[in-house]
Amino acid sequence: MTLPIPLFPRRARFRQVPGLAVAALLSLPILTSPGRAQEIGDTTRYLPPEIGSETPSFKPLPPPSLNFYGVPGVIDMPSGQTAPDGQFTTALAHFGGQTRVTLSFQATPWMGISFRYHGIQNWNMYGFETYYDRNFDVRFRLMQEARFRPEVTLGLQDFSGTGLFGAEYIAASKTLRTPAVWGSARDGGQLVVTGGIGWGRLGSYNNIGSFGHRPAYDGSTNFGGEPSYDQWFRGPYALFGGVEWRPNDRLGIKLEYSSDDYVTETQKTAVFEKKSPFNFGVEYQWTESSRLGLYYMYGSEIGASLQIQFNPRQPLTPMQQSAPLPIKPRRDWAGPPEAWTTDWVDSAEVRLSLRDRVAAELTKSGLVLESLELSGTEAELRYRNPRYTPAAAAVGRAARALAASLPPSVETFRLVPVANGMALSAVILRRSDLEALEYDGDAAQALRAVTAYADAPHGPGAGAMPGPDLYPDFSWSLAQYFAPSYFDPSLPFRLDLGVDLRLSYRPAPGWRIAGKIRQRVWGNVKDGRASNSVLPHVRTDQDKYAQHGTTIEELYAARYWRPGANLYARISGGYFESMFGGLSGELLWKPVGSRLALGIEANYAIQRDYDQLFSFRDYKVFTGHASAYYELGGGYKTQLDVGRYLAGDFGATFSFDRIFANGWSVGGFFTLTDVSSADFGEGSFDKGIRFRIPLNWMLGTPSRSGMGMLIRPVQRDGGQRLDVPGRLYDQVREAHRSGLDAGWERVWE
Amino acid sequence: MRTLFDIRAGAGLLLAGMLAMSGCSRGTEEAPTQLELARATQGVVSGLLQRRKAAPPPAFSRAQLETVGLPITGFVAENRDLSAYFFRTEARHDATPGLIEVWLSGDQKSSVTTRAGLVIATRGLGDDLLSSTVPMAGSGPAPGPLAQQIRYGDNRERGLRLRCDLADLGPERIEILGRSQATRHLQQSCEGAGGRIVNDFWADPRDGFLWQSRQWAGPGVGYLQLRRVIK
Repeated sequence: MTLPIPLFPRRARFRQVPGLAVAALLSLPILTSPGRAQEIGDTTRYLPPEIGSETPSFKPLPPPSLNFYGVPGVIDMPSGQTAPDGQFTTALAHFGGQTRVTLSFQATPWMGISFRYHGIQNWNMYGFETYYDRNFDVRFRLMQEARFRPEVTLGLQDFSGTGLFGAEYIAASKTLRTPAVWGSARDGGQLVVTGGIGWGRLGSYNNIGSFGHRPAYDGSTNFGGEPSYDQWFRGPYALFGGVEWRPNDRLGIKLEYSSDDYVTETQKTAVFEKKSPFNFGVEYQWTESSRLGLYYMYGSEIGASLQIQFNPRQPLTPMQQSAPLPIKPRRDWAGPPEAWTTDWVDSAEVRLSLRDRVAAELTKSGLVLESLELSGTEAELRYRNPRYTPAAAAVGRAARALAASLPPSVETFRLVPVANGMALSAVILRRSDLEALEYDGDAAQALRAVTAYADAPHGPGAGAMPGPDLYPDFSWSLAQYFAPSYFDPSLPFRLDLGVDLRLSYRPAPGWRIAGKIRQRVWGNVKDGRASNSVLPHVRTDQDKYAQHGTTIEELYAARYWRPGANLYARISGGYFESMFGGLSGELLWKPVGSRLALGIEANYAIQRDYDQLFSFRDYKVFTGHASAYYELGGGYKTQLDVGRYLAGDFGATFSFDRIFANGWSVGGFFTLTDVSSADFGEGSFDKGIRFRIPLNWMLGTPSRSGMGMLIRPVQRDGGQRLDVPGRLYDQVREAHRSGLDAGWERVWE
Repeated sequence: MRTLFDIRAGAGLLLAGMLAMSGCSRGTEEAPTQLELARATQGVVSGLLQRRKAAPPPAFSRAQLETVGLPITGFVAENRDLSAYFFRTEARHDATPGLIEVWLSGDQKSSVTTRAGLVIATRGLGDDLLSSTVPMAGSGPAPGPLAQQIRYGDNRERGLRLRCDLADLGPERIEILGRSQATRHLQQSCEGAGGRIVNDFWADPRDGFLWQSRQWAGPGVGYLQLRRVIK
């Protein structure tokens, strides 16, 4: 048995040390600190019980509070604290005419990234009355908090923008436990003491020295968006600091000394008046995920903030999936194994009725039977999974459907998840293992140990029975849509809304004809900025496309098939997206157990007319990419695409995403092409962040849907890819080894 | 816990409500996200409305329950709004000693599995107890290690390991749905994983059969009360 070592969370290697040494170590007053307990992902650390209870709890302790820049911090200053791994935060803060909205994501336990939209009223400079800016930050944890040492973070604020908010800092924070007062505290009161040194904006007040030369941002030669590394840690530096006292789990009292002199805002223009470097604040935990704050800033201004923190690992509603029916061991209902004959297999009638039973069982679990092939001792089930996010949950339900329906002689189950007619993998289970392990003390891991994975044969065998009345398969839906558009300087958020009619017709396995007809009901995207791009307007004519209310968003035919072992192929033609149509072909190589996948895609894209009906414009382009996908493990995925983009530019896109087993994903990308920054325009090159929030996480019911968002600080024409529906990689990956492993724990549910 | 759930439901409702209208779909394709949201919102709204005017669960008499012809256990999930009779759908053995019984709710959405009366798994209750190894001797609870695998957060499982002691609190007469029963009250205290749990068992003095118990089924499900109404 593994020793629980609650006091020694990150040193699991000591478990290997002989017993005496472990005992000696455990008897020491081992380094521990409240800060560490906040690592949600740390499965060896046990948290204190919740208030009013003494039972063990998995509920994480309150995370560090955020500052006005939406990163762990005091009020306007950052702290050395780190958000829990995976934490996804939104902060809205306002003071002295400045409003900041920040999205942050703790991408790894040691690295956090932020995207911020910043508005300053009464700017009255450079032709802006209100000035809007977009910033990216990155923070690295240099040292983790321990009993006698603080948590230390190095941060780059606005590291690639215009540099107006540019700052670099190293901050250290130490958390001390205090008695809880004025309310209950699960882990005692907390006093967080922070000190730091800052450059740039954070070195502008009362500097204690200067290091090198910090060049000023030059808007005439610089289009922004590129890392301003020539500025980093240059110029005057100053000290800042603050304290946060959390006397209980709801209340926070903050005091800080700011090293930001707000030179531009208070001296070059008059956004507000700064009278003091000291800021004060009170914060209140309103709900489990939201915190409100009220502040007195710089001796003259009242500030307010709202902090919302989520973690992909903490569902908004706990997942509640209907209970499965138990697997009944064959010996309880079919007599001794000697009596299990295979005579039934000779009767086509019996086999068809078995297929119908399996299909009915699958339907109860929300799965669709594509085909079933039976021999006396083996069954190969091909099924579609429109319901469960982890592929393993569907595997479990499919296995139960077979166990509940098939004659006792069938011992081997080959479960083949299918998407668009393509067999994605084969999960091979023995029925006797299912019977033996359902109530094992470690049932999921025990079953994992006896499960085999393989590439699935290309098509169902000759004797396979297709799903009853499945093809031709027609589906439709009518649902509302919301199409936002961001960051127009005259109106930062625009929205179109209306209804989408989706149609899908599958004449045979592997074929799909699909369409989406859109009717706008209301919207103001059409009033957006006209393009000033010097490149072909492949993406920036958004306003022209938005002039039309009834449009065909998609109308295409696609054929998917398996050309060989580990190979997947797609060919599609039609109207792929609102701006382009044409022809597209794709080939993907991905072995079931491989972390690496390679793909190639070639498209002939024709620009669609602004009315988005059937006609095209004159612009045509050959575009395509060679892609490499690599899973780093732990849900981290990288992708490199090299090729030609829609504007005819050549280059490469690098993407990095973190995918959680429940379907959450957060990531970012950038594209560098042979288009110069001057031709590209504002932002210099294409980049963006994207995230997806799955409905199962929000609603607690099984679902594969999610709400996604892709945010580009600026939409330009360089480095743009065609949006082809039904690309191969994502549909293949989730049913391969890593995708099955990621949610394997749900196999018995 | 109740208020917490309300807040979560409220937050879910708000998020869903922001995006929801109405729609419809037909066929085997996945429904569009917006449509699922709309449906979920309707569900949450009607759920909230129903809860507000929720009638107490119908009170069955022993005679009515006996007509079902299946063993029945009454369950109360203290953390959840759940108080219901579950019917036995499975009784079997595997390589580990102790009769396994699977109890299914009337709506077939939730189930609880016991081994010799000790809770070893739950389904459909949210953050379920996936599997466990329980300390037992003969046909009842015993001192020893307790290991639970809990589904948690991001479709992962987390293990909890506790060490249990057992105390005999002496004879106690209990009443289950109008029938009086002589029992011995056994109390199992388990420590570990940063906390402490207390499981209570009321066992038949003759054969150790568990007539009634209060058992902890992990941080998500919390304490469950079990009353064996029909043996």
